[in-house]
Amino acid sequence: MVVSSGRTKHWTRVEYERLIDLGAFRPGERLELVGGALLVSEPQGGPHFTAIGLVEDALRQVFGSGWTVRAQGPIALDEDSEPEPDLAVVQGSRRDHSRSHPSHPVLIVEVAESSLAFDRGEKGSLYARAGIADYWILNLPDRVLEVYRDPVAAPHAPYRYRYGATITLGPRDTASPLAAPTAAILVADLLP
Amino acid sequence: MSEVARSPARAKRWTRLEYERLVDLGAFGPEERLELIGGQLVVREPQGRPHSTGIRLVAAALRAAFGPGWTIEAQLPVALDEESEPEPDIAVVAGGPRDYLSSHPSRPTLVVEIALTSLALDRGEKASLYARARIEDYWIVNLVDNILEVYRDPEANPDSPYGWHYGSTVTLSAGDHVRPLSVPNAEIRVADLLP
Repeated sequence: MVVSSGRTKHWTRVEYERLIDLGAFRPGERLELVGGALLVSEPQGGPHFTAIGLVEDALRQVFGSGWTVRAQGPIALDEDSEPEPDLAVVQGSRRDHSRSHPSHPVLIVEVAESSLAFDRGEKGSLYARAGIADYWILNLPDRVLEVYRDPVAAPHAPYRYRYGATITLGPRDTASPLAAPTAAILVADLLP
Repeated sequence: MSEVARSPARAKRWTRLEYERLVDLGAFGPEERLELIGGQLVVREPQGRPHSTGIRLVAAALRAAFGPGWTIEAQLPVALDEESEPEPDIAVVAGGPRDYLSSHPSRPTLVVEIALTSLALDRGEKASLYARARIEDYWIVNLVDNILEVYRDPEANPDSPYGWHYGSTVTLSAGDHVRPLSVPNAEIRVADLLP
């Protein structure tokens, strides 16, 4: 039920984090703050959750010490966004972010089943606006990995930025993270 | 591509109890004016002098028409349903001011919105929401066209935003009179409601 004629409350990240501290949300309620809007995450199916684990395992092998691979953890992306991407690779150790969420992952991966349009559209634009240099969508319906790079301004995109380069990789292709260019991850290893 | 354009990320829907808890916790700024409409927090846009004047005029006219035993409320919360707590420009509720110390009124006998910039919202989502809550008498003081719109007979209607609409709409102009449903002997000149 979307209110179309009225403007809905725009939350800032600071307000959102305060709500969390105040205990405003139900236990187990999975939310993301995306461009000032509080969005409920859909319940996860088996393929989605399995894929997250597979991507996590692969990224952990590629990114050694000095990096943290975070699964579905909050990212302090910008003033009005705190998404919880399926995977984010950040610099440093886990304890480096015990006081504040990381803000600039070197790689974000979303596993898309029913969320493909949203991950390509709103999320892609949001991550591009935040200058995330390497954004991957593991597209489960088509069994491909979509690699997005080169964020550029785009007036018609939801958040006025988009990725200038898109590469689609099949199961037999390999992907190399920008931040670990010598590594090669077989796409088949990521697919459930 | 195989996927449809449907966005799976759905806006968080607040219940009225959650919303009231947020208010109690001080989650909102003092200058922030919000309404809970069908689970969504909707910002009340700042209103100009014609709107404020409309509120004063309607409040004065209804106070005279309803008399004792009723309270005329201006922009106060109404506990409308499980996911809605609007703050209508005017709500007429039974009883006195202290009757609603423990909970907001939930069944106004008349709701009035003064509409200038909010006309689409007041005719669309708000009307459907009030109809769903069986508000029997809903008026819009339409400042765009300088008329009074009277909505009655709430009924189910699948095409409306909340599945309900008003079956009867009467449009009155400055020379007409209006009688509230719950005080049918009182006659209010529409001209007295217009700024």
